[in-house]
Formats: sequence, structure tokens, C-alpha cells
Amino acid sequence: MTVKVGDEIPELIKHPTTRQLVQYAGAQGDFYEIHYDQEFARSVALPGVILHGLLKAAFLGQLVTDWLGDRGSLKSFEVSYRGIDQPGRPYRCRGKITKVDGDQVDLEVWGEDVDGNKTTVGSATVLMAQ
Amino acid sequence: MATKTSVVDRLRSRIGDASPPISATVEAGHLKRFAEAIGDPNLRWLNEAPPTFLVALVPVSIHLAEAEEYGKGWLNGGNRFEYIEPVMAGDHITATGKIADVYEKTGSSGTLLFIIFETDYTNQHGRTVARVRGTAIRR
Repeated sequence: MTVKVGDEIPELIKHPTTRQLVQYAGAQGDFYEIHYDQEFARSVALPGVILHGLLKAAFLGQLVTDWLGDRGSLKSFEVSYRGIDQPGRPYRCRGKITKVDGDQVDLEVWGEDVDGNKTTVGSATVLMAQ
Repeated sequence: MATKTSVVDRLRSRIGDASPPISATVEAGHLKRFAEAIGDPNLRWLNEAPPTFLVALVPVSIHLAEAEEYGKGWLNGGNRFEYIEPVMAGDHITATGKIADVYEKTGSSGTLLFIIFETDYTNQHGRTVARVRGTAIRR
């Protein structure tokens, strides 16, 4: 496979729902009420329940592993949560190659809300198989 | 009510504190539920841990009751995952967490408290398989 700096990888659009937030809360064991209790979320000055940061990280992880497949392995992955996202709105995951050094490929990854705000930004490093 | 500064000082004195190691076996059923919850249909995750799974495997928590005196609520600032070996169904993983740093930072939305946690994961062969760093924010 030829990868070059500046190439975008295929995007991934997720459609998170409140049901998914409850499912994720159970699967991760994170029962902080801001992810499923509307009243509680508003009491801490949020507009309503919001996506778990780690769920958005999982979306970006899928973006990278879908692209990579079995052509290599993920070595590191980093995300910063810059903004909140609410269920019921599509979440667009994108990535771009930023560096190619032998078998090592660095990517910039990010998640955008419907207005194009990058609410999650991060990076990943993969090692391509020989 | 304690002042914010004294809360920060008390938290800073806990930098380096480690959680007792917690162990868990990676169960195929949990992998499946996790993959379903994140909506990733890749069959690979029926047997192998997807990139963010380890945070769900064992609840490594160092309870910082005093942090809750600061601000109104918790936010997750970010996570960093370093992968050394794949984690597969049946692996027995031991997680050890520690408080790596505590600091305040002033930005456009006011002053926030940052707490950095680091967790090392080792498998049944005693090899480190992954490291995860998390940034918790009080706002």
C-alpha cells in the first residue's frame, strides 16, 4: 500500500443515540449521570446528556482500524476532547496522514459535529507490516 | 467549604499515589458487548480487544473525594493509549493506576483543575501490554 503525507483516509460517520449511550455506559462501566440522565446533565450546566469522551475515542479508533485492516498494527492513539456532543446528531470521523517514516505512519484524526466543529482531536501511529 | 487552593494542595500531595492492582480476564462476552456498544461490526473484536477496550476491562479508580469540592462536575479531557502487545479473549490482565499529575489551568472558560491518571496493563505472562493516560477535569 502506498500512503503519502496529506492523504485523507476514508471517513466514518456514526449516528449515536441515547440508547447507545446507555449501552456504552454499561459496557464501559461508566455510570456518570451526564450520559443518560437529562435532568442531572442540565443541573451541571450541560444542554442535555452528552457522549462519553471514550465513546468518541472508540469511534476514532474504528476509523483507524477500518482503514488499517490487517496491513499493520496500531502503536499509539491519543485523543483530546474539545467540545461536547449530543446524541441524535451525526458524528463525522476523519483522518489524514501526517508523516511516513519507513514502516511507521502517523495520522491526525478528528471528529466533527454537524457544524464542522472539531470536538475531538487526536493522533495515531501505526506500524505497517512488511 | 475549603478554598480551591487548599483542595489543589491536598490533591498535589497525592501525586504518585498508586491504586492497588486490579485483575480481570478478558471475556469474549464482554468484548462482544463492548463492540456492539461502540457500534463497530468488525468480527476481529470478537476475539481481540479493540483500541479503547482496556478502560472498560477493569475499573481502575483512585477515588479523589476532595476533588469534588472543586467546581461543579467532571469532564474527560483526553486519553492516550500506547499498545505494546495485542490483548486477546482469555488473557488475564492486571491494571495498576497512579496519579501522575495535578494542576490548575486558566483558559477562556475560567480556571479548571486537571488530574492526570496513568494505568499500566500487564498480561498473565507478566508482560506490559498497554499503557493508558487519562486527563480528568473538574469544572
